[in-house]
Amino acid sequence: MTRYLAKRAGQMALTLFLIVTLTFFLVQAQPGDYATFYALNPDLPAEVRAQLKESFGLDKPLWQQYLVHMKNTFTGNFGVSFGHFPRPVMEVLAERLPRTAVLFLTATAVSFYIGFFLGKAIAWRRGGVLEYAATISGATLFTAFTPAFGLMMIWVFAFKLGWLPVGKFLDPLIWRGAEVSANHVFSYMLVTGAAFIVFAFLVLFFFRRSGRIGPAPLVAPIIGAAALAIPVAWGLSDIGFLALDILRHMILPIVTLTLISFAGTMLLTRNSMLETMREDYVMAARAKGLPEKVVRDRHAARNALLPVVTSLVYSLIFAIDGSVIIEGVFSWPGMGMTLLDAVRSEDLPLVMGSMVFIGLFSLLAHVIVDVLYVYLDPRIRYQ
Amino acid sequence: MATVREAPVLEVVDLSLRYQTRQGEVQAVEGVSFELAQGQSLGLVGESGCGKTSVATSLMRLLPENAYLAGGQVKLGGTDLLPLSDDEIRGYRWRRIAMVFQAAMNSLDPVHRVGQQVIEAIEAHRMETTLADARERVARLFRMVGLDPQLMDRYPHEFSGGMRQRAVIAMALSCDPDLIIADEPTTALDVIVQDRILRELKVVQQELRMGMIYISHDIGVVAEVTDRIGVMYAGRLVELGDTADVFRSPMHPYTAALMSSFPSVHGERLPLVGLAGEPPNLIDPPAGCPFHPRCPYADDICRTEFPDRSFRGDNWAACWHPLDASPLSEDRQNQDF
Ligand SMILES: Nc1ncnc2c1ncn2[C@@H]1O[C@H](COP(=O)(O)OP(=O)(O)OP(=O)(O)O)[C@@H](O)[C@H]1O
Ligand code: SF4
Ligand SMILES: [Mg+2]
Repeated sequence: MTRYLAKRAGQMALTLFLIVTLTFFLVQAQPGDYATFYALNPDLPAEVRAQLKESFGLDKPLWQQYLVHMKNTFTGNFGVSFGHFPRPVMEVLAERLPRTAVLFLTATAVSFYIGFFLGKAIAWRRGGVLEYAATISGATLFTAFTPAFGLMMIWVFAFKLGWLPVGKFLDPLIWRGAEVSANHVFSYMLVTGAAFIVFAFLVLFFFRRSGRIGPAPLVAPIIGAAALAIPVAWGLSDIGFLALDILRHMILPIVTLTLISFAGTMLLTRNSMLETMREDYVMAARAKGLPEKVVRDRHAARNALLPVVTSLVYSLIFAIDGSVIIEGVFSWPGMGMTLLDAVRSEDLPLVMGSMVFIGLFSLLAHVIVDVLYVYLDPRIRYQ
Repeated sequence: MATVREAPVLEVVDLSLRYQTRQGEVQAVEGVSFELAQGQSLGLVGESGCGKTSVATSLMRLLPENAYLAGGQVKLGGTDLLPLSDDEIRGYRWRRIAMVFQAAMNSLDPVHRVGQQVIEAIEAHRMETTLADARERVARLFRMVGLDPQLMDRYPHEFSGGMRQRAVIAMALSCDPDLIIADEPTTALDVIVQDRILRELKVVQQELRMGMIYISHDIGVVAEVTDRIGVMYAGRLVELGDTADVFRSPMHPYTAALMSSFPSVHGERLPLVGLAGEPPNLIDPPAGCPFHPRCPYADDICRTEFPDRSFRGDNWAACWHPLDASPLSEDRQNQDF
């Protein structure tokens, strides 16, 4: 396992190296070149320009600039953003990355869950109303033009119904006079979410290990109690209403992203289920007198999951695309929108930094899916 | 082989099963009746496609979606299983009737540990209350079928073919069933392993005094392990009797033909006489005796009317012209079926 992970880390480093190289030369190939931008940018005070010139080797030949760039990248120094001057690129990214990660991971998890759940249900009971409705609506949403669909969601839920905010990360009216920054509140929210997930896993793990037979009766109540305690604790705290505001802003982009992407998982799961349902071990499971739900979930769906997880790698790429568009539509200040803005305003350091992090993010996601697959299929060895 | 005569555990009466297909209805099982006493073993033989597996799966009511039971009863300890609700029948599966499937090699789920797959059956039927007891039971079963109990925490892909076969048998025994159905469980294995597992299965069956239905198209294999033998042709049971008697003097021409197709039966060697022709299409089976297109003794009545049973002692055959008590005389031996 350790060796496998080490090998994967090596592969990642190599891929990252290629990404950095590629972005460097792509940016160099742009009409307005990097050095000129830095050296001539009137927004920059003269001494800063001189310092940048020095630290980025802008007066040196291209290959030396490349080496300096490489060194800077791997030490996390992307320079100073033009658009957010004088904030360093790293600082801007450190603020934006978690926002995208939350949006993206939540939408991916929810749409995967819904897709898998519907997929297995419609395969199990073929020809029902559910199959018809889920397939038609899923396929329609899947093929819808993402920006148009996003705007339609805003129009319906924000303008017509007024249930949810139109876009952005927070409502300045609510935050006026707030003593804490949005980042502060948001990082507390992240910590709470992460702690809850870890807690739930620990509970599941602990009760699975206890020597009883049959379902562990305490798991659902304990996790449920924790899930209830979280909003109560936040409600009692004095930043609860601020968190709620951020949460309200998250709903529409997550729902939209989920709706456009669940159908892929659903149709794949359905096809995969139709295969596994014919397997002899499913017949054997039924012969053992297991309840239908156990036959479906523990045997048919559990095996059907494998090809679906494999395809998750590809749908991740699709989802990264989707979240760039969705962030643009909802003015959600995450990586996608940062990249779009940076490109538009020719904020080259920020473009390079975003590209590297989006690359890193998808590489990490890829590795996680691979490790997950190895965990899910005992026939696969760590190689 | 002494036949145990007790009140039957299993009583199958006039069982009929059809499959609906685009080409029409497949009459896979037609009017099959037989009984099985406690601790007794019955062999079901016949060519591929004659309905052996269909009979077995009907007993557990484990049918594909396009199948329906056109009639009959399957009484286990006096209760007819066919009208039971899905929940009720679930309690009978594995607990009362367990099965070693034809594709035994694939009846283990690749993503779960082998022991766990046995435990889930034990769990479903509440055979043990703690995990430790359940594991102890699995260990006992593994030892019984000649597997190292430590293997229970391995995955199926780590097992050899023979080991998987044994594990599947252990799984079938896990809930102390009254009846175990073994559907040609050893064909995927080499002959030596096959023979050994078969003998062991028989020993276990006798030790536990379970009923057993052993399905094969090799009548020689069936003869080695069963008390009684039932011969199926085109969805029908055409001969039923004590294994020794059937072997000494088969009554149905099809049985005789089957026996001579498998020359390795213990005792006298028969000249290998091929069974010419194909079994009939079950969507539109021939009128009269379904065997008549291939039968050398067929005459007019065979072509028009389904034969009544002819009895010889407890044995019977559905044939208008059953063979004599010494059927393998010169002229019949040289018949080319
Ligand atoms: N699900 C199904 N749908 C339609 N026809 C089927 C189905 N299952 C079996 N049949 C048909 O029913 C008949 C009996 O099949 P069955 O599997 O019971 O035969 P078998 O004696 O077990 O054969 P084998 O020795 O090859 O296992 C065959 O003609 C087969 O083609
Ligand atoms: S009934 Fe006639 S056709 Fe059928 S097996 Fe007997 S002799 Fe042959
Ligand atoms: Mg069969």
